[in-house]
Amino acid sequence: MVSQYGFKFAIHLITNHFGKIVAKVCETLFRKGPLSLGEIIRSTELTPEQVKNSLLVLVQHNCVQAYVPADQCTIAFPPLFSNFFMFAIEIILFSVNVVRGEDGSMATVEYLALFDNIIHRLRFPKFLEIAKHQLDDECEKVLDGLLRDGRLTLKQMVERAVQGKENPGAIEAVVRESFHKLLKAHYIERCPAPEPVVSTLIKAESAPRKRGSKMAKKFEAPETIEQRVLEAAVPGEAIRFAVTAYTLGNADREAKSDDSSMVNDGDNSGKFIVILCESLIYVTKFYCTHISSMILIFLHFFTWIQGGIANEGSILWRANFEEFIRHLRHKLLVENERKRLDDGAATILSAILDVTKTVEKKVKIEKSAPLSLDSIFTEVTKTEHGRTMTIDRVRASLVQLGCPQRNFDDSYSIDLKSIVEMARNEEVESIVLKRFGSDAYRIFRLLSKSNCFLETDKIAESALVDKKETPRLLYKLWKDNYLYMEKLVVTAAKQSRFMLWKVNKPLLWEYVLDEMYHAALNLSLRLAFEQEKDEDLLHVPADKLVPADKSSEANALQKRYRRLRDVLFLMGSSLMKLDDALMLFHDF
Amino acid sequence: MNKRKREGLASNSDNMSDAERIVYNVIHSKQNMGIWIADIKRETSLPESMIKKSIKMLQTKGEIKEVVNIKNKSRKHYMAAGFEPADEITGGSWYSEGKLDQEYIFRLRQVCLNYISRNVIANRDGILEFINRGGYFSGTTTQEVDQILGNLVLDDKIIEVKSTGYGDYEKFPVGRVCYRCKSKGGVNNGEGKFGAMASIPCGVCPRINLCSPDGYISPKTCEFYQKWLDF
Repeated sequence: MVSQYGFKFAIHLITNHFGKIVAKVCETLFRKGPLSLGEIIRSTELTPEQVKNSLLVLVQHNCVQAYVPADQCTIAFPPLFSNFFMFAIEIILFSVNVVRGEDGSMATVEYLALFDNIIHRLRFPKFLEIAKHQLDDECEKVLDGLLRDGRLTLKQMVERAVQGKENPGAIEAVVRESFHKLLKAHYIERCPAPEPVVSTLIKAESAPRKRGSKMAKKFEAPETIEQRVLEAAVPGEAIRFAVTAYTLGNADREAKSDDSSMVNDGDNSGKFIVILCESLIYVTKFYCTHISSMILIFLHFFTWIQGGIANEGSILWRANFEEFIRHLRHKLLVENERKRLDDGAATILSAILDVTKTVEKKVKIEKSAPLSLDSIFTEVTKTEHGRTMTIDRVRASLVQLGCPQRNFDDSYSIDLKSIVEMARNEEVESIVLKRFGSDAYRIFRLLSKSNCFLETDKIAESALVDKKETPRLLYKLWKDNYLYMEKLVVTAAKQSRFMLWKVNKPLLWEYVLDEMYHAALNLSLRLAFEQEKDEDLLHVPADKLVPADKSSEANALQKRYRRLRDVLFLMGSSLMKLDDALMLFHDF
Repeated sequence: MNKRKREGLASNSDNMSDAERIVYNVIHSKQNMGIWIADIKRETSLPESMIKKSIKMLQTKGEIKEVVNIKNKSRKHYMAAGFEPADEITGGSWYSEGKLDQEYIFRLRQVCLNYISRNVIANRDGILEFINRGGYFSGTTTQEVDQILGNLVLDDKIIEVKSTGYGDYEKFPVGRVCYRCKSKGGVNNGEGKFGAMASIPCGVCPRINLCSPDGYISPKTCEFYQKWLDF
């Protein structure tokens, strides 16, 4: 669930990058949830052309994902095989571009705004920095093109790089090499399916819970529609980062005048496939009782048509934000442990994360993948700082990293979630210290560490804060949503009233995250305001700003220029630092 | 038991009037918690003027004393002379005349911090021994040192760790609770860095909930921003 200022900040980014019309479409999708083209036109009161173009831009830049709600499809499958059939049907419909509703009319494609991808636009400079340092400058340039244009084919990347340059052959070779490096590092990926079929129904529990069962099922928040759409859209692991796996249908997309869909057929071979598949589907639907075998036939047929060879003019690629976020998360974990413990512990953690990152299924993993001590030691000694470590030193550091005993199979796992939580606590405590003072800081940390209700006097004693002052500070923290309070009335010889206080971390972190989005929006707006105020300075020739000119007018100009430069640097760097905190609370 | 009790209660009963004896017995029964005048009135059902007169006489005779109740300094609280006020009344060893002795706490904290900084790693027993060797703080109890160390942990000046038995920890058995300074440079290494949010005006702004892009309070009109950008 995204907060109020989260949405506002996302809309602000879209406005800055693509203009107000595109931002209006995006805002409508945020406010009302996934909508069809017709619904967006009605809600925004923009012309159909404006809405289509806006959606094109947003899809191109991975800020919106189209999908087809599964409950609008007529083809039903036994639940046992539903995953396989859904996959197969997506591939068929991908080429066919036809989805029929129950009454035979066209089922509508819906569009979902992708909040995370929009916020990632703020961190493009960080992604470029990662590519530059992990790989090289050329990879950074290729990635820059992808980030600027949203999605490109390899052919387009080459064309972009050689434009206006001498020696295009050499440049092309460099681009191809950089492309492969980025792909190998998983920093780029194939673009997702354009309109996957997604179930929008909430899954019921698979098995009835036994009463009194000690193995109570851990509560898991239900999957959001955004998670389902993204899961359905993303290509399978086998082809997501593969250049040579076959693809079915034309991946390039252009605008179409058809109200119900934005998808186009593509070239002539695509059209042939369309007609053939549409015929086959009707035949299958009415006459075929063994759908699974028919779909297998379709798959083999498509493989034959495509020849199993990647078409570099048709496969679209984009930056893989997930991998960049994973990299940044690992960086935060290592740096935090370096600050908390020492360089040795940081080296060991870094080695563990490097070797286990390929098995991470998602970014927000709670524990690192289990590794034996020998494997950890081998990886550590490969590093520059770990070369001189002994196995005992590694073992002692693992204890310090919060991994005192091995798992049942003699492997070690680091609790990464607790490191992230510690970092979040520090960030919030820092706000409390600055906003409310050192006494309130001690009180807050006491409550945060104890993680239970404490009574006012007990807080005063433990935090060594004056007993008269304590209730006032507690009230201030409570009023600003940093504490949760309950009243307890005890009736004994006489009635006594106690105030109990607690830090509710999940709620507090959501609140702090919203404040951070608010602060990020404010920083951006102020930055734009300062730039506008002194816009004339940005067009002044450089020689006028040279300190050699000692006239008072020149001095004043230089002073203004220096101030603007310092202001822009301060605000820009503050925004990047605040973005680290946004990732800490939202993405890590 | 009854004989001892009889001795404690109104021992110089010949010197006391009936009212004084009743008031004294009520005060004495509260032992080290004491009692304030309204509660005496409720329990004895004597007129207030008689209670006040009795209290004055008992104070003059040295049978009772007035103490400051930290929870309510405006109320007059009375206690039998033979008792020392409980921590709930005085506020504990850190309170003096009803006020938190900030100066004393600050100096004791500094002593502990300096010791930990010099020794890199220290445990509570070592700190306690060091403190009691010095003149000013001799008589400090284990509980008080624990409170001061807890306070330093809450202030993020020191970290509580468990000994690994290696390196700096080799003096301490494995698993023993120890303390070390948070900043690697020790006590005098300056303040810790502030977080991202706390480093910008919005992070400390008391009016952030009233701020909006086009509102009366906005980033364009914000005074805190103006000061922050005023190089």
